[in-house]
Amino acid sequence: MNFWDYLGNRHQQLLTDAFQHASAVFQCMVVATLIGVVIGVVTYRSEWAGSLATTATSTILTVPSLAMIGLLIPIVGLGVAPTVIALTLYGLLPIVRNAIVGLRGVDPALVDAAKGIGMSRTARLLRVELPLAWPPILTGIRVSTQMLMGIAAIAAYASGPGLGNEIFRGIGSLGSKNALNQVLAGTLGIIILALLFDAAYVLIGRLTIPRGIRA
Amino acid sequence: MNTPRKPSHPTPPARPEGEHEVKGVPFRDAGEAEQEAPPTPAVASAPPRVTWQKLTILPAVLAIGLLITWLWFRNAELDSIAENALAGGIVWLRLRQHIELTVISTFFVLIIAIPLGILLTRKKLRGAAPVAMAFANIGQATPAIGLLALLVIWMGIGMRAALFGIVIYAVLPVLSNTIAGLKANDPTLLEAARGIGMSPLGVLGKVELPLAVPLILAGVRTALVLNVGTATLATFGGGGGLGDLITTGITNQRMSILILGSILTVALALLVDWLASLAELLLRPRGLEVRS
Repeated sequence: MNFWDYLGNRHQQLLTDAFQHASAVFQCMVVATLIGVVIGVVTYRSEWAGSLATTATSTILTVPSLAMIGLLIPIVGLGVAPTVIALTLYGLLPIVRNAIVGLRGVDPALVDAAKGIGMSRTARLLRVELPLAWPPILTGIRVSTQMLMGIAAIAAYASGPGLGNEIFRGIGSLGSKNALNQVLAGTLGIIILALLFDAAYVLIGRLTIPRGIRA
Repeated sequence: MNTPRKPSHPTPPARPEGEHEVKGVPFRDAGEAEQEAPPTPAVASAPPRVTWQKLTILPAVLAIGLLITWLWFRNAELDSIAENALAGGIVWLRLRQHIELTVISTFFVLIIAIPLGILLTRKKLRGAAPVAMAFANIGQATPAIGLLALLVIWMGIGMRAALFGIVIYAVLPVLSNTIAGLKANDPTLLEAARGIGMSPLGVLGKVELPLAVPLILAGVRTALVLNVGTATLATFGGGGGLGDLITTGITNQRMSILILGSILTVALALLVDWLASLAELLLRPRGLEVRS
């Protein structure tokens, strides 16, 4: 069976896997973004809290994903739970770091001006600081998403959802005719998903970055 | 009183709640304000590069973690399957394989990526750099496990396929780092070097490369950390390494093996990152340190 026949025969299964892959990454990214930005907002004003947050998240990133999943399995079991936790944890780092860098990079004069016209602390944060820090945060989200695409594939080994299952089925049947087709379908599918996500982020950037600070 | 802020730190001083600001100068108490307010011209006495915290905290934490694991593992009840899986010094073998995979692949990544990065920033080949970058972007979207599986199908099971996969996966990030760093060199410095009559090779060897040393060291660190991680996947292609313990633990449902493998992997990854960060600090040229 050549590759195109394989795609034709299995498109149902492949589409389901691709959808699950994308939805797992997307949902974990939403959670990671929320947590990451909150961590950034809470820590960016103090030197040590900021560097603590950055160090902690970058330590997590240093841990190989298979080992992280291995440590999660005894605690939460196989399946969706370790996948979701691992993806969210790994997704945090670029977002936290870029949120802190972005928020610290906001011109203090602007914040002062906002204070001067009587904006409250919350209003300053929501209407001045976060919009100005949004481009680096969005970059962080893009970097995270690409990374999570690959980690989600590995998580399939712990019975997680997604296209990784296709790859592992291929590895499991090494030597059979379909092994190459399965691995190729899984890998290309993930690359395509990653590029689609990337395109979506470019679009989101166009729509959400305030006109005044667009490059 | 707080410890004085490092004068060379680029971030603006943080302002805690309740602190006033007078003409842009944080107003807390006299001593502190004096230390923070003026952008200190140069670092008068260079702070030590490696603080004792950096030297001790991580190894201490790792040592304690490994000790606890060892004590726990000695008392863990292993059934025959688990014992067979760990018989004959297999743990040491896997650890050694993992380190081998990491070191060899890092070596190849560096001798491929850095010269290639230098070539792609030369005038004649500069046009090819965006192509390489676009390629690098697609490469980054490729899942490591997929790449490895394809190589195993192509080259057969074993350490060779794993090594190839690890190298290919890490070359692209190091390459794009190198290109970005060489491009970021101040063009006036290069202009000046050419102006005093240095040959292109002289400019490269005496100006560009020394300026790019921090970047190359960062590349080494990136490669090492990435490779420790990718090497865990070598097990799926019969390449050995600590990933083997993890997968054995998962497939045989033996949590003790799974935990042992995972903890050893984590410890190795953190240790490698720590060593690389020390090297990064110690090998950086002194002349590049003063940034105000």
